Amino acid sequence: MVSGTKPLPSAGSQPPLRVPSYVAWTEETIAAASNGDTVRGLVLARRCIRCHGQEGFSNDPLVPDLAGMDKLTMWKQLNDFRAGKRKSAIMNPVATVLQIQDYADLAAYYSMLPTYPDPQDIRSFPQPAPASTHIAVAARLIFGGDGQRGIPPCQACHGPIGHKNGAPSLVAQNSDYIRGELEGFAKGDRANDIDMPMRTIASLMTDDEKQAVAAYYGAGLGSLPVGASAPAK
Amino acid sequence: MRSGRLQFVGAILAFTLVWLCIRFPYEMFGLAEKALGNPSQVDPLTLHLHGEFVESNLGTAVEPDGSVTVRLIAQQFNFVPECVLVPTDKPIRFRITSADGVHRFTISGTDHVLEVVPGHVSEGQFEFSKPGQYKTPCHEFCGPGHYDMRSRVVVVSRDQFPSSKPEERLGCAAL
Repeated sequence: MVSGTKPLPSAGSQPPLRVPSYVAWTEETIAAASNGDTVRGLVLARRCIRCHGQEGFSNDPLVPDLAGMDKLTMWKQLNDFRAGKRKSAIMNPVATVLQIQDYADLAAYYSMLPTYPDPQDIRSFPQPAPASTHIAVAARLIFGGDGQRGIPPCQACHGPIGHKNGAPSLVAQNSDYIRGELEGFAKGDRANDIDMPMRTIASLMTDDEKQAVAAYYGAGLGSLPVGASAPAK
Repeated sequence: MRSGRLQFVGAILAFTLVWLCIRFPYEMFGLAEKALGNPSQVDPLTLHLHGEFVESNLGTAVEPDGSVTVRLIAQQFNFVPECVLVPTDKPIRFRITSADGVHRFTISGTDHVLEVVPGHVSEGQFEFSKPGQYKTPCHEFCGPGHYDMRSRVVVVSRDQFPSSKPEERLGCAAL
């Protein structure tokens, strides 16, 4: 580390403050987001069923599946919807009506729902397996990344080999939803990622890569070893 | 034979004593901290909320006195912003901090290196004589995405470097 010898420029020359999210992963925040009441969450979740499905699997591929959703992710997104840091005509008012404690309760409930209810149950992965060319493109990015362009592997933060606070598991997520969010991050329409990791990465990915990664996760391949086929339906 | 062994043991004891005499006050009175010479302390968990490393303040800043400052965040597993723009033949002040673990910001093809530690601001004055694109890989193993962690420093001649106001921040898109 090198010392700073010259005085810093005055703070008056800073651009207008832009804050992506008011959530910071302090110990208090993590405790608040982690200690929800599962039973209360189950009752509250009745109002989420219409869009997010009976068991956390949405029928609309543009709406995210919530089954198995990481608690911190869910708590943060609801906070961001409430604060207007993430825009959604439906979720902004929903999050405003709920109390902060409700976020933790819902997170506790949805985080314990299984992502593989039944191998014969196609609700979890209704989307077809991607084309083989897309599988190769997606597997390379998800498992290895692209060092030449500075794209880290998706699984380093989204699991299973690595995890970052607030980064959701994508192993049971809808492909259209993932693709839409990647496009949103790339354009800056979605800008609630703390310290800009997803805006940076999505802007480096091509449209074809976004589609390939989304299709790979959407078909349920994200939790399987490289090259494995889709789960039996 | 015996005196030789005693001398050896004595030398080890003397060395240990001297080491403790130096090391204890060094740690106890924060001399290690002072030796780093860095008064800047930041909270890695709240960089995005306030202070110097909020996202709107990252990138290249041309200060009122004409000097150039680049501010970056290192995090698992990228540097933000991914591309910074600087002019040639001018000392550039790089200020960088970490949002999580230890990283090392290394500008390829030069000897410019900054060790990045959470909680501290690392600073270095670097100068580039040749225009071009320099990759900046992380050279401190920081986790499963470490080998893909790199960004770019784009160096342009001073004539090509766009002018900007003190409250503006430049990125590679300004070219």
